[in-house]
Amino acid sequence: MYKYSNIDKKIIADRTKQFQNQVERRLNGKLTEEEFKPLRLMNGLYLQLHAYMLRVAIPYGELSSTQLRKLAFIADKFDRGYGHFTTRQNIQFNWPKLPEVPEILDQLSEVEMHAIQTSGNCIRNISSDHLAGLTAEEVEDPRPWCEIIRKWSTFHPEFSFLPRKFKIAVTGCLEDRTALLVHDIGLRLIKKNNVIGFEVFVGGGQGRTPHIAKMIRSFLSKKDLLNYLEAILTTYNQLGRRDNIYKARIKILVNELGVQKFKSLVEKNFVKFSNEKLKLDKNTINDIFNFFKLPKLKYSSNKLPISKNKKFNEWKQQNTLPHKISGYSIVLISLKPPGKPPGDADSRQMQELANISDDFSFGEIRVTHEQNLVLPHVNNTQIYQLWQQLDILKLATPNIGLISDTICCPGMDYCALATARSIPISQKIGNNFKKYFDQKSIGDIKIKISGCINACGHHHVGNIGILGLDRNGEEFYQITLGGSAKEDAAIGQIIGPSFSEKKLISAIRRIIKTYRKNKKNASEDFLSVFRRIGIEAFKKDLYDNTRKKN
Amino acid sequence: MIILERKTEKLNKYKRITNEFFSANDFLPTSLLSLYQWQEIKKQGIKKNFQLAIEINSDESSESIKDSLKKFSMIQLNFKTFKDGRPFTLVKELRIEHKFKGEIRASGHILPDQYVFLLRCGFDTVEIKKEDKEIWIELLNLDNGLYYQP
Amino acid sequence: MTKKLKGDFFLLSANELQSGKVVFYTKKGWLPNSNKAIKIHRDDLSKYDDIFKKDEEKCIIISAKFVELDESGKIKTLRDKIRDSGLTIKIK
Ligand code: SF4
Repeated sequence: MYKYSNIDKKIIADRTKQFQNQVERRLNGKLTEEEFKPLRLMNGLYLQLHAYMLRVAIPYGELSSTQLRKLAFIADKFDRGYGHFTTRQNIQFNWPKLPEVPEILDQLSEVEMHAIQTSGNCIRNISSDHLAGLTAEEVEDPRPWCEIIRKWSTFHPEFSFLPRKFKIAVTGCLEDRTALLVHDIGLRLIKKNNVIGFEVFVGGGQGRTPHIAKMIRSFLSKKDLLNYLEAILTTYNQLGRRDNIYKARIKILVNELGVQKFKSLVEKNFVKFSNEKLKLDKNTINDIFNFFKLPKLKYSSNKLPISKNKKFNEWKQQNTLPHKISGYSIVLISLKPPGKPPGDADSRQMQELANISDDFSFGEIRVTHEQNLVLPHVNNTQIYQLWQQLDILKLATPNIGLISDTICCPGMDYCALATARSIPISQKIGNNFKKYFDQKSIGDIKIKISGCINACGHHHVGNIGILGLDRNGEEFYQITLGGSAKEDAAIGQIIGPSFSEKKLISAIRRIIKTYRKNKKNASEDFLSVFRRIGIEAFKKDLYDNTRKKN
Repeated sequence: MIILERKTEKLNKYKRITNEFFSANDFLPTSLLSLYQWQEIKKQGIKKNFQLAIEINSDESSESIKDSLKKFSMIQLNFKTFKDGRPFTLVKELRIEHKFKGEIRASGHILPDQYVFLLRCGFDTVEIKKEDKEIWIELLNLDNGLYYQP
Repeated sequence: MTKKLKGDFFLLSANELQSGKVVFYTKKGWLPNSNKAIKIHRDDLSKYDDIFKKDEEKCIIISAKFVELDESGKIKTLRDKIRDSGLTIKIK
């Protein structure tokens, strides 16, 4: 894991001091709310429906046990005993008080954490693959690159007041677990003629006008990474729209200019402004890579244990993946037990999980963009014991990748921008598809739920997407089908008129029925069937039946 | 309003030309022109053998001055709102692409919290309210010169 | 701010600057629940405009807004109801 240098420490400490100063100026009226708002947002502090919300960065989703323990402490001392893991691998606290926020930031800085640039019109936390460094098919570990970008983008003097927020993801695999193509910039490490570099995608995004990112460079050499990013950001800062907040993201600029024109502007800026000092030399890169070495793992032929315990077997089948070092497994921890808000963890769970990760996984924990957690290196001989401990903490729900493993934003229960609630919908889905056997027979499927068109719950790219709407004061839900956030990224298509909260679940059931009816064999998943038969088949089944019932 | 160059207050030698019907006689080496006035001068073909200062708003295009930068001793980039970050890139263009060596000043709606960013991007001076001087200097004092960017 | 509002009666609500908590304007100032909130007729809204603006300036509250009531005198929209009565879900 990355360890802060003295410079990192100083920079973060200074920022905390600066924010302290800003809070004081706000409290004594020297800053108006209008002036303070962008400053607090740059420190991750929002005002939600019931209270402030503090979003803490978890760079590229990686946590140490010490950090997780600190998050548990903060949840207890400054909040209501829980936190919420988000679709950008961050954590949100829902009840902090403004005068206490500088103290929270102080506490965070003790464990090399912060809330910098988790909000506001700047370059946000860099997200990455939660299996970075763990799989055999990976071209290269993306985390060191995230760290290089994190540094460069932190307090960037030129790019802190962009037209709109800016999100970057990096992956090292063809198989995408980062939702790369719905980011403002997506970087994919690839190998060409035996040299590793980046494919650069730009202009992806969700929200009101979803777009899949387009490739503007098929190979970018490592040394040029930062200069190229600067060129993209320069172009965006010059030309991105500032007249209309809904048109301010880079995706709109890329589409209005056309990708070829945008690319040529970027290439021009790349030449004009390339800075020798931003070129990455081998030593700098190696220094960062050294932080991300695997812990000392011993190859063995130990397999996952065989047990008669049905619950354990289900969990083992669903929530573990092979590690690239044989004898170890990657364990996924579901934060979607039936009936709970997706992505929430209470302070006891965090505390215990920190201990568990020390005992079983070298003190390392990862956060996934699907709002689950990962223990990256667990010895196969310890898996059963680990499962027992997770089970006690209600952290062993065997549903990773299944229908109840929904992505879900906070929705109207918390969020000031929401048009409808989303957590209750996710809970209903969880309660409706509780049995492992049922879920397994449906197979891999992604349901993603947003409480408004901002799409924090990624509904556009859900195999089934659910978007909460307000129809004359009543909550209604629009369903989209066929979205994907993977390497075959696609925006879902709206199936038809939306459903009231009451009718939504039976609509989902009917969609699942259509899928089951049409699947050719046991392994054909929902998305494949959808792509084969198209939306019409689903539409027909869904609305014909509804009418009869009404 | 005062002009601050790092921690020192500086005399503002530039004055806006406010006459609506300006003529060549109105311009002095200390005149601060709006973009519109500059474009008018160019149109009228008035030739001056001394340098001027110009003010460009953050939402205005600076294209029309880029071929006559030698005419300016000072360029003032006026923020319509502190959230409009375009001047941060414009100053880079002026300095790096056009090698502008004169003074570049930030004015308008800017916050002391942006001071270090402004200086690092290539601004020399800021125009601020007199009563804010202390806080601008205080925030500059928090800066210890450690940055992630070159 | 008052122009867009429909309906006849409203409550004045805001968040406390320090705690972020939801508060309503009552005879005794800003209090956490809506029961004691002053019911405001639409004709009087502008008077209350001044009140919240002053309190915003005094750094007591932020994000003030008028909350619309329905015919029976209850808070009308789901959003405002959730603001008043809290989460609709169990968190633990
Ligand atoms: S999608 Fe909308 S409701 Fe959900 S968290 Fe984002 S802004 Fe809030």
